[in-house]
Amino acid sequence: MSDQKWFTNIPWGIVGIVAVIALIGLTAVYSATYTAKGPSTLFSKQLIWVAVGLMMMLLVLITDYHTVSRYAYVLYAVSIVLLLLVMVMGKTGMGAQRWLALGPIAFQPSELMKLALTLVLVRYFSDNHREGGFMLSDLVVPAAMVLAPLALVLKQPDLGTALMLLLTSSLIILLAGVRMRSVLIVLIIGATLLSLMFLIPPVKKKIWGSLKPYQQNRIRAFLDPSSDPLGSGYHANQSKIAVGSGQITGKGFRRGTQSQMAFLPERHTDFIFAVIAEEHGLIGAGFMIFLYLSLLLIGVDTAKNAKDRVGALMAGGIVAMLSMYVFINIGMAVGVVPVVGVPLPLVSYGGTSIITTFLAIGLLLNIQMRRFMLFY
Amino acid sequence: MEQENPVDIQRRLPFFAAFIVVFMLVLFTRLWFLQVVKGDYYYDLAENNRIRPVKIRPPRGIIYDRYGRPIVENVLTFDISIVPEDTRDMDATINKTASLLKMSAGSIRSALDDAADTRTKYEPVKIREEAPWEAVAIVESHQDELPGVIVEPEHRRHYPFGGLGSHQLGYIGKVSPTQRKKEQAELSLLIGQGGIEKTYDKFLRGASGRRMIQVNASGTKVKDLGIEDPKPGMDLYLTIDLDAQRAAEEALGDRAGAVVAMDPNTGEVLTLVSHPNFDPNLFPRGIAPKDWVKLTNDPSHPLYNRAIQSVYPPGSIFKVIVSLAGLDSGAIKLDDKVTCSGFIKSGKHTFRCWKKEGHGTLSFHRGLVESCDVYFYTMGERIGFDRIARYAQNSGLGMITGIKLPDEKPGFIPTSAWKKDRLGEPWYPGDTYINSIGQGFIQVSPIQACQLIGAVANGGLFYRPNLVLQTRNRETGRVREISPERKGRVVLDSAALDEVRKALIGVVSEPGGTGHGALTPIATVAGKTGTAQVIAQKDPQKKLFGKMQDHAWFIAYAPVENPRIAVAVLVEHGGHGGGAAAPIARRVIEEYMKNVGSKMVH
Repeated sequence: MSDQKWFTNIPWGIVGIVAVIALIGLTAVYSATYTAKGPSTLFSKQLIWVAVGLMMMLLVLITDYHTVSRYAYVLYAVSIVLLLLVMVMGKTGMGAQRWLALGPIAFQPSELMKLALTLVLVRYFSDNHREGGFMLSDLVVPAAMVLAPLALVLKQPDLGTALMLLLTSSLIILLAGVRMRSVLIVLIIGATLLSLMFLIPPVKKKIWGSLKPYQQNRIRAFLDPSSDPLGSGYHANQSKIAVGSGQITGKGFRRGTQSQMAFLPERHTDFIFAVIAEEHGLIGAGFMIFLYLSLLLIGVDTAKNAKDRVGALMAGGIVAMLSMYVFINIGMAVGVVPVVGVPLPLVSYGGTSIITTFLAIGLLLNIQMRRFMLFY
Repeated sequence: MEQENPVDIQRRLPFFAAFIVVFMLVLFTRLWFLQVVKGDYYYDLAENNRIRPVKIRPPRGIIYDRYGRPIVENVLTFDISIVPEDTRDMDATINKTASLLKMSAGSIRSALDDAADTRTKYEPVKIREEAPWEAVAIVESHQDELPGVIVEPEHRRHYPFGGLGSHQLGYIGKVSPTQRKKEQAELSLLIGQGGIEKTYDKFLRGASGRRMIQVNASGTKVKDLGIEDPKPGMDLYLTIDLDAQRAAEEALGDRAGAVVAMDPNTGEVLTLVSHPNFDPNLFPRGIAPKDWVKLTNDPSHPLYNRAIQSVYPPGSIFKVIVSLAGLDSGAIKLDDKVTCSGFIKSGKHTFRCWKKEGHGTLSFHRGLVESCDVYFYTMGERIGFDRIARYAQNSGLGMITGIKLPDEKPGFIPTSAWKKDRLGEPWYPGDTYINSIGQGFIQVSPIQACQLIGAVANGGLFYRPNLVLQTRNRETGRVREISPERKGRVVLDSAALDEVRKALIGVVSEPGGTGHGALTPIATVAGKTGTAQVIAQKDPQKKLFGKMQDHAWFIAYAPVENPRIAVAVLVEHGGHGGGAAAPIARRVIEEYMKNVGSKMVH
């Protein structure tokens, strides 16, 4: 392939959508972190992350996605090692041990794992294919691949990311093709185990007791928001007030009373969508949903047009991952899912999340660009 | 290549796309519901966000004496406050409140105006502090008519002994805007503004907690949603002995002056008195302007901590330093004789002894016991004043002791170099004479005098004066001891020290000694009197009165066999040290020795 062709094949549509989302995200972080003394340094940091992310996204285009897939196991192994390192020497923040200090930069290996796990599953399922769908016995290895990082992340404890890993990998497995019978069996076994857990008091007590108090509170608060109004019930309530009070047109940039007067906690990270909804109303928030929908559907289209199994699975897997983050994060802000700490892709403050998301989208572009090329 | 064919995956993609679209529709519908259908409701909620954090101020740490007796406490009181955001009609609320509580509407208004600049949103403004029960009951029972008026419980600082120890305990007051930055204090808190309350404020202060409450439209609490407890301040256990402190205060009485007592072995401050004192209870509510004017305009300066902030000529107590310098350096021999005929001549000047008829011939011991000026003129000249000054500085004179109280003054020890430098004059023999008996340029604070005599008691060693024995975390009960900090050493020659000690015992107990007023059956006391001239006196026989009268000094330690207490007393314009100051030292020693060694009770 010539360089010329490679360049003109960049799907600028996706790049445009991504850029607009990231830009809106930056204004939201600017507004949410604004202090009495002016813009916060958090904003300038985020600005750097987004710039670095954009560059890395374009850098990923140079390498063929097949090459990336070949190194999937290496990336996975590195991520596992980093997660282990976090357990040993990680920085603790807000009651959980999630960060590794790299000089002045705090690095969150669990965010890298979400990409690594997606890629390793894609690699596994494109190498091992069974006509008519996988049977349960075929899923032992991928299940192990999922459970190892899941256990490490739960140990931190980071319930949100664990849930994300579980949901994303389930979607990828379904996409790779599982026999209907196997799906049913898993569902029945899962449902039985779950109900047994909650019907047998000692088992229930044991599981409940293994959760951290703040995790128990979050679950309790979702079931009954008034039970914990100081903690996550307070978060959920304040987020709903922020979103709802934005009404149709919003209160205006930096005019959101919920966000500016600090009623809304975690407003630059987990609840950034509530800031957008409060300040820009249904118009702004609806536009964000539209942008994400477009991005995800173009991603599905990329999978559909991919010229081989690796490409199709990788594109599908990345869309699965992104969609889960978008659904859970926005769902949490508007109060349809429990409060779990997950970032909104491309928008929430946080370097590791921003960069891994850009990398994932870079891969999506990569697959899109190379759909007509022949390599063999 | 069969396995490269992604057809089966592509077959499943439409389901995936449909799943994405459906979920996005769910989110959008939910947005629609929150922002359009219930938009007005949530807008209203956001406008007066009804879940409100209310600050809970922490109780300040309690201050105890060395035996665990409380000397500064907190008392629970109730204040009546207004939250302006919760009043629907401010004027109506003010008028109604004024008539119900029999207050003037103007005073309420001015309280609100004063707070307007500094308060944060929903922060209550106090309109009546320490309200009586009837007023609290009226507010509670008229809640419907008084939207925004609330009752706030407060821990009010209380000093049960009034002015006792007021200079070391200090007082608390509102945070000034400059302090707010420097001390990172919350504006609504009262912080230490003097004494230990100020220097140990970080320990005593604690940290605010917060309570989430749900309020109705008139700002009345309808539901407690949760509480984050405040962290109470640390309790302090002082080195002070309440009984000895009280004895010193009573003995000093109405006279202006200072009494400092320390444990010479550790530097623990046992009493610290400065008179006249003030009542710290005037401050926590915000001192009334007329009380403030009275305190600051009082010519006797009651806010001034004389024990550490006032410096005086040391008079004859300085002879202790001259003696140490002479004996330690070898410039004075014990049996060097001097004949005192009541005066000594140097050039055309005559320097008198305090005893007009003279002491006759005496050597070191009697010279110090009888405090013969002529003896010390002679010896001062023999030692040389710069050498004396060095000993004085080594014993901590001329520099602050480092006690943890605000604004200590260093006092002054002159040298010939200083005089040439600052006054452009050489050091005359006459300068040596008058400075050798503690007059002239020398200035010493009472706490320095105490540190000096403590060093004599403790074999030449002295410690930084320490005010706090322990801090105690009220929540965990954890106690942290504060250990003594050694500061310096006066002399190395223990024989010299022993001779000085013998003479100091003689001052109190031998015939002709000047400090008989400190004699007590409880313990053998060693001491030295001092009389510091306020004005140069031509005729020593002429009686002076009032402000012209001399300052009376007395420094002492006891028991001489095993010293437990060192005392310095200064009575401003008290006349002779032996008459005015020594009996006060005796009272403090007697009172302290009664309890010494008792255990602290937490």
